[in-house]
Amino acid sequence: MAATAKPIQSIHAQEAEDDLRENLLFDPRPRSEINSMVMESMQTAGWKFWAVTTFVALFVLVALFGVWIYLILNGMGVTGTDRPIYWGVFLSNTVFWIGISHTGAFVAALLRVIKTNFHHAITRVAEFMAVFGIIQTGLSVFFHLGRVWRSYWLIPFPNERGLWPDFHSPLSWDFMAITTYMIVSGLYLILPLIPDLAMLRDHSTGWRKNLYRILALGFRGTEDEWKHLRAAIKIFSFAMIPIMVSVTTVVSWDFAMATRPGWSSTVFGPFFVVGAFHSGVAALVALLALIRITMKNMKYFIRPETFDSLGKLMLIISMAWAYLYFNDYIVPWYGGTSLDRLLLKFHETGPFAPMFYLMLTFNAVIPWALLWNKKIRRSPWVMFIIGLLIVIGMWFERFLIVPGSLTISANPFTWRIYQISWVEVSLTLGTVAFFALLYLLASRFLPFISPWEVQEGQESHTIRKVGKAGLPSASDID
Amino acid sequence: MSDDGMTLLALFQEVDPAAEAVEKLREMGVADERMNVVSGVPFKEEILGRPRVRTHVPMFALGGAIAGFALAVFLIWGVPFLYPLYVGGQPMFPVPPLLVVGFELIMLGMLTATFLGVFVDSRFPSYEPKFYVPEISDGEIAVFFDCPAGMQAKFEKAMQSLGAESVRTVEAQEL
Repeated sequence: MAATAKPIQSIHAQEAEDDLRENLLFDPRPRSEINSMVMESMQTAGWKFWAVTTFVALFVLVALFGVWIYLILNGMGVTGTDRPIYWGVFLSNTVFWIGISHTGAFVAALLRVIKTNFHHAITRVAEFMAVFGIIQTGLSVFFHLGRVWRSYWLIPFPNERGLWPDFHSPLSWDFMAITTYMIVSGLYLILPLIPDLAMLRDHSTGWRKNLYRILALGFRGTEDEWKHLRAAIKIFSFAMIPIMVSVTTVVSWDFAMATRPGWSSTVFGPFFVVGAFHSGVAALVALLALIRITMKNMKYFIRPETFDSLGKLMLIISMAWAYLYFNDYIVPWYGGTSLDRLLLKFHETGPFAPMFYLMLTFNAVIPWALLWNKKIRRSPWVMFIIGLLIVIGMWFERFLIVPGSLTISANPFTWRIYQISWVEVSLTLGTVAFFALLYLLASRFLPFISPWEVQEGQESHTIRKVGKAGLPSASDID
Repeated sequence: MSDDGMTLLALFQEVDPAAEAVEKLREMGVADERMNVVSGVPFKEEILGRPRVRTHVPMFALGGAIAGFALAVFLIWGVPFLYPLYVGGQPMFPVPPLLVVGFELIMLGMLTATFLGVFVDSRFPSYEPKFYVPEISDGEIAVFFDCPAGMQAKFEKAMQSLGAESVRTVEAQEL
C-alpha cells in the first residue's frame, strides 16, 4: 500500500507563525520604541485620572486615616470585637493582605526562576503588589493593636526590667517572618528597577531628571554592574520562593497552634500558602486587566496570551485550594470533637452561611466552570471579573477562619455572633482604597513595565525556521 | 580612562558586531582592561568575548546568612541566659523555634547583604562624571576603549568597517 505524504500548506505555517507573534517575546520592537511607549504610559494622564486619584485620596484620608484616629481616640470598644472574638476583621484583613502581598513577590520570583515566556511584562506589577500589599498588612496589624504607639514592644529588645520577648510564641515568630518579608520584598522591587530608573534619567527633563538621576544611583549598564545586579536578582528570586512559603506558614501557625475548633489543623500551613497564591494570582490578573484597559500602550505589553497563561495557573490553584479545603473540612467532620462539628454546622447554616457558599462558588465553582475555556481565558474583561470574584471569595475565607471560627469555643456561655462595626468596614475599605491609591500614584512615577526585561526576553526568543514552519526558540543571553 | 590618549566610543545596534569589535580591538593592541562594554541589557561575557567578571555578591550573601543565623541563635538560645523565663513547660533552649526564627533571620541577613553587596561591588551610589551616552538605554551597545595618541583614524576606520553606527571621542560627563 502506497502512502501519500501531504505537504504542509504554507498557509498553515504562516498561521502558526502569526499565533507565535501574539506572544510579546516574538513580536519585538526597537528598545527606543519600547522606552517611549513605557514613558508615554507614565506621562499621559487626563483629568479623569486625576479626578479618580483625588477621589480615592480623599476616601483614604477620611475612611482610613480619619477613622483610624477615631479608633485611637475611642479605643477598641468601637469595633465588633468582644469576648470570645478578640481577633476580628482587622486580623482577617491582615491574613488577606499578606496573601495578596506574598503572591506578588512569589509570582515574580517563580516566573523568573523557571523562565516562562510571559513573565517579562508582569513582574513589575507583581512586585508593586508585594510592597503595596504588605503596607496594608502592617496597617491592619496596627489597627488591631489598638494602642499602636506601643507597637515597638514587638521588636526584640529588652524592656526596663531586662525582660525579652518570648521566642517560644508563634506571634514572635510571626513578627520576625513579616518583618523579614516586608524588608526583602521592598529590596526585591528596587533591584530590577535600577536599570529602568537609569533609562528614565536618560529620557527625562526638569525635576523628573533630577529625581531619576538620584534614584538611578549612577547606573550605566557596564559589564560589572550587570554582573552584580543579575547575581543579586538570581539570589533574590530563588530565596523569595521559600520565604513566601515560610512566612505564610508562620502566619497560619498563629491559628493552628491554638487548640481551638476550626484552627487546630496540621494542614493549615499548605492551606494558607495555596490560599495566598489563589488570592494573589487572582488579584494580579485583575490588576493587569485594569492596567491594560486604562493605561496607554499597555495592550502591546499585556496581551491575551498573558491572561491565557495566568488563567491556566488560576485553574490549577483553584483545584489545589479546593483539595486542601476539603482536607481541612472532612477530618473534623468525620473525626472531630462535637465542637468541631458544631462549628462546621455553624458555617453552613449560621448567619455567615451566605459567605460560606459564596466563598465556595467564587473560589472553586466559577473558576472550574469558566477557566477551562481558552476564549474566556484570553478575554481581559472576563478575567478581571473572575479575578475580582476570587479575591472576594478569598476575603470571605479569611473572615470565616478568623472571627467566624472564634464564635464557637469550649465555653458555651461566651458564644456570640460577631457583628462587624462601621469602623471596621471603613478601615477595611480604606486599605483597599489605599492599595489602589499607591498604584495610581506609582503609575505616574515608576514604570509598570520593565523595558530592559522585555528587551532581554525579546533578544533571547526567536522564531527558528524548521522546514516550512517557524518554531519558537529560546536561549540565555545573560 | 586614558592616561596619554583619548577615550573613543563605538556604538553598535547589534551584539554580533560589538563582539567582533571587542575581538578586533584586542588584535589592535587594546588590553581588555582598557575597554568596557556598556549595554541596556545584560549579556554573558562569552557572548561579548570578554573576560569573566568576578562578583562578590554571593560572598556577601553567605556572610549575611551567617550573621542572620548568629542573631537567631542569640535570640532563641542566648536570651534565656539573660532572662530565664519558663513558659508552659517548654524547654529553655528549644530547637523548633530556632529553626523557624533561624530560617527567617538567615534569609533576612542573606538578602540584605546581597542588596548591599550590589552597592559595594558596583560602588553605588556614584554621581561623579562617567563615560556614558543615553543611546545605551535605547538598546545600543557601546564599546568604550582607550585609543593611543595619533591612532584615532585607524581605530575609527576599524570600528566603522565592523558596522559601528558611530565612532567618536567622549569625555566623562554627569549622568
